[in-house]
Amino acid sequence: MLILAAAVPLWRTIDQPVALKGLVAMVGLLLIAWELWWFLGRHGGGVVARESEAGLQEITITVDGGYAPSRIKVKAGRPLRLSFHRIDPSGCVAQVIFPDFHKTLDLPLEATTSLELPPSEAGVYPFHCGMNMVRGVLEVVEERANNQSAKRAS
Amino acid sequence: MERELARERTLLRRRVSVAAVLTVLVVVSSLPHMLGGGHHSFLPLWFTSPWTQLILTTPVLFWCGRDFFTGAVSAFRQHSADMNTLVAAGTGIAYLTSLFSTLFPQVLIAEGLPADVYFETAAVILTLVLLGRLLEARARGQTSEAIRRLLQLQPPTARVLRDGQPIEIPVSQVMVGDLVQVRPGEKIPVDGVVSEGSSWVEESMLTGEPTPVAKAAGDAVIGASMNRSGSFTFRVSRVGGDTVLAQIVELVRQAQSSRTQVQRLADQVVGWFVPVVIALAITAFVVWFLISGNAVLAMLFLVSVLVIACPCTLGLATPTSIMVASGKGAENGLIFRSAEALETAGKLRTIVLDKTGTLTRGQPEVTDFERLPGGVLPAGTLLALTAALESRSEHPLAEAITTYARSQLKDSELPAVEGFEAVAGRGVQGSIAGQQVRVGTPRWFEELGIDTAALKPLVERLEAAACSVAAVVVDGRIEACFGVADPLKTSSAAAVAALRRLGLQVVMLSGDARRTAEVVAAQVGIERVIAEVRPADKSSVIRKLQEQGEGPVAMVGDGINDAPALAAADVGIAMGTGTDVAIAASDITLISGNLAGVPAAIELSRTAMANIRQNLVFAFAYNVAGIPIAAGLLFPLTGWLLSPMIAGAAMAFSSVSVVSNALRLRSFHPARLPLPTT
Repeated sequence: MLILAAAVPLWRTIDQPVALKGLVAMVGLLLIAWELWWFLGRHGGGVVARESEAGLQEITITVDGGYAPSRIKVKAGRPLRLSFHRIDPSGCVAQVIFPDFHKTLDLPLEATTSLELPPSEAGVYPFHCGMNMVRGVLEVVEERANNQSAKRAS
Repeated sequence: MERELARERTLLRRRVSVAAVLTVLVVVSSLPHMLGGGHHSFLPLWFTSPWTQLILTTPVLFWCGRDFFTGAVSAFRQHSADMNTLVAAGTGIAYLTSLFSTLFPQVLIAEGLPADVYFETAAVILTLVLLGRLLEARARGQTSEAIRRLLQLQPPTARVLRDGQPIEIPVSQVMVGDLVQVRPGEKIPVDGVVSEGSSWVEESMLTGEPTPVAKAAGDAVIGASMNRSGSFTFRVSRVGGDTVLAQIVELVRQAQSSRTQVQRLADQVVGWFVPVVIALAITAFVVWFLISGNAVLAMLFLVSVLVIACPCTLGLATPTSIMVASGKGAENGLIFRSAEALETAGKLRTIVLDKTGTLTRGQPEVTDFERLPGGVLPAGTLLALTAALESRSEHPLAEAITTYARSQLKDSELPAVEGFEAVAGRGVQGSIAGQQVRVGTPRWFEELGIDTAALKPLVERLEAAACSVAAVVVDGRIEACFGVADPLKTSSAAAVAALRRLGLQVVMLSGDARRTAEVVAAQVGIERVIAEVRPADKSSVIRKLQEQGEGPVAMVGDGINDAPALAAADVGIAMGTGTDVAIAASDITLISGNLAGVPAAIELSRTAMANIRQNLVFAFAYNVAGIPIAAGLLFPLTGWLLSPMIAGAAMAFSSVSVVSNALRLRSFHPARLPLPTT
């Protein structure tokens, strides 16, 4: 059933020089290390949303195969407006879901769709596409300590 | 959005067809080779050439399958890897290896390897994955069917009275306060209150209640329900996003965008799944190269591993089930506010039912009207006298008696009362047409020294049935008595039995005196009663049950004065009244006031959670078993080598099977309960 029809003629052992074997193993390991670093490592601390005068934090995210940026840093306790600009025709990214906020946003192609989220507590709030394959993270952080002390002083 | 999805499906279908035709040609072209390399006269030599296969395969990969490649590249730039990455890498590697051996066959031959090409492998995998994606897109379209059906319930236009003339306008232009006409067989466009006329209205599409409901002036009607026989006019009370229908749709959408605890685990796995699979694929390549020295063989293992892994099954396992289940709930008038509500409802051990308004109708009614042996007045006269007197009182019991008496009387004209007086905690008195009439408690008449002996057996019987008793005395003579009770909903006993069958401990909560509460509890088959609880203490009762380890605890209430208790419970279930979705504090809302919805909701939760578990187990098992087989781990034991083509087929159908399994939930029917109207 699962057997490759042409398996037997394929099964052919070839003597390879040890140097080549060593090289293949080395390259393989390096490739694995690089690939894991590229996909799983942290690349940059995320993009910080800009802030309007009214205190509304805004950021535009381009949807093209992934979310750019995919890691967004915002301040806690401030309202937030996320604008998604979708240029990827794949139906997979036609929806973006924020499970922690119970929100689903439909993203029409070649258009910008905005979602306003209430001020939230510090924490990490993931979001993803309708099929849960394209993913991003909303990182809500407390305002920096010196900001708070400045506020307290005033 | 709908149109976009449809367009995408059309495009996908076209690509699948083109890919299928070309792939069949590539496979036929590669047949002689697969069958042992000899020349077969039935195919011309040019057709079996690697160059022909190259020409046929290129459009399959880069036109039909271009989304996989563009998706993989953009994801790669974002440091993320997904389904596209695996498919693109798997087919791309098979294609490039074959391209190499087509262009430079002598290099391989010099190495002692046959200059084989694997174009058919790349083409078959891509076609199968594309086909899987098409089937999945179709199936996924069905998961949101319930919402689509709900949205289609609202008729596009309404007949509004403007200056007394009916005109047909789009529903979006209807305003609160407008008068709308509805003819027999028409759908009611928006929410409102009947101002004129009467009819039977079918609300099953929103409440799950099968029986039509009578509507007359003053009754509320829900937009999207179906008018049966009569004509009526109603005043619009809610439009747009405020209507019950819009709220239901919004709630279902919210629930579908939330996630369960089990899904968090799957989500974490999905995050590192693809990079790990790529690492395993490279490892398989290296290990097989070291063992056999055969780069082509090692490449086939690499492709198999990349192609068999299916992170989609993991990602789809929970959300598809949640989508279908919450849609199914909405069809039956059970609105889940979140995926967590669905999850917890399946684990409940104790269920607390509020008495008033939940088990009972919440409105006292006259259950008995008995004339006593010593009485002389005819029933009609007695009812007229009682109604005349009681209509001036504001006591809830008086209201029930007046309503009953009026419903029994043909003549709506009541006799005049002189010298009306309400005696606190006792009753009312006054004189009507020269007769001294009193309506009140039996105790009051004992105190007045009236002979109540004839009343005794009746009082005992009525109190045993949890009724309050009001006697009628005319000129010092006991004439009749009323039994007033808050009657049980007809569905209550069956619902309690169903809950017990589901293995739940059922507790009744009531503010009534213990004796009355126990009588009601016995009537519906509840053994455990917590009585004499003030409304404000209900939430602490729930907390105590939770502390005693009887949780998870659900609280069922009418959602108005039970809000703190609903919020304190692990699952708060609010009974709607069909017109007012009291949802703020509740995790589950029953649009109809029918208690049968509670066991149905719990059953649905259990079924849905079982479905999710099946999906997750399948998704994990598939990947955990499939990847080692694809990597050739079984080869030393069994001689099994998994063809990359079969790996592609397995992958394509694993996500289809997860979605199909979730779609099985569409056939869910709550266990047949007697479902009379409340």
